[in-house]
Amino acid sequence: MAKVYESSVINAPADRVWAQVRDFNGLPHWHPRIVQSRIEQDQASDKVGCVRNFRLDGGATIREKLLALSDYEYACTYSILQSPMGVENYVATLKLAPITDGNRCFAEWTAEFDCAPQDAAALVEDIGTNVFQAGFEALKRRFGG
Amino acid sequence: MVKVERSTVINAPIDRVWAVLRDFNGHDSWHPIVAESRIEDSRTGDMIGAVRRFRLRDGAELREQLLSLSDRDHAFSYCLYETPIPLLNYVAHVRLKPVTDRDRTFWRWWSSFLTPPGRERELERMVGEDVYSAGIAAVRKLVEQR
Repeated sequence: MAKVYESSVINAPADRVWAQVRDFNGLPHWHPRIVQSRIEQDQASDKVGCVRNFRLDGGATIREKLLALSDYEYACTYSILQSPMGVENYVATLKLAPITDGNRCFAEWTAEFDCAPQDAAALVEDIGTNVFQAGFEALKRRFGG
Repeated sequence: MVKVERSTVINAPIDRVWAVLRDFNGHDSWHPIVAESRIEDSRTGDMIGAVRRFRLRDGAELREQLLSLSDRDHAFSYCLYETPIPLLNYVAHVRLKPVTDRDRTFWRWWSSFLTPPGRERELERMVGEDVYSAGIAAVRKLVEQR
């Protein structure tokens, strides 16, 4: 099982960052690599079990299922149903935590998945850098630092 | 139930911060309100169930028991046994997480307790500021590069 862990500090309160990222259909509004997203079967994007179907800037399509969403924990967990990445049993969580001594929050993004052993290192690097860290950098720019 | 939480980012790698915090019997070496710490019954500070006896700078004594310690999660929790202050069912947690994009450390320190009606705000402030914020400031001074 391969694991990815990336974390960062965003210069805005957890409530504000959460308002941006909690929309499971909202990736194109803040993540630079995602150009188009829709929720299948016209379901609401905060309905646990819904499936988002989105397109990356390179044209690939990915389908992901919302497994858990917690406004209390500022956390969103989802799995990949279909992707060109060559991963199995992929489950990821994006989670925020308030930092009480300033108007900022701690953000962490984790994933676990199975894949061919020779692909693991490259996939961990690609997901960590181009998906998770790229998302954090976009949030940091959006929230000023 | 009163809940207290303080958190911050320390500009030092997680291993350096954890090396300071993980010693359950070492808080007298950095916390400004703790004058002396010892572990009862010839146990060590990393034995789960160990009880530490604190003497505070103001002379008060208290006993706390280590409930969990995880080098994997950079976390520990403890409860308060005996104290001159009415903090009942007090259980506290410390947890560190790495901030991977700058090699820094996110530190969360939180607890919950019961207390006689009317003293909630006073004791929330005392625990949050005098214990947690003051402790965080002291560790920051110890581990951050100048």
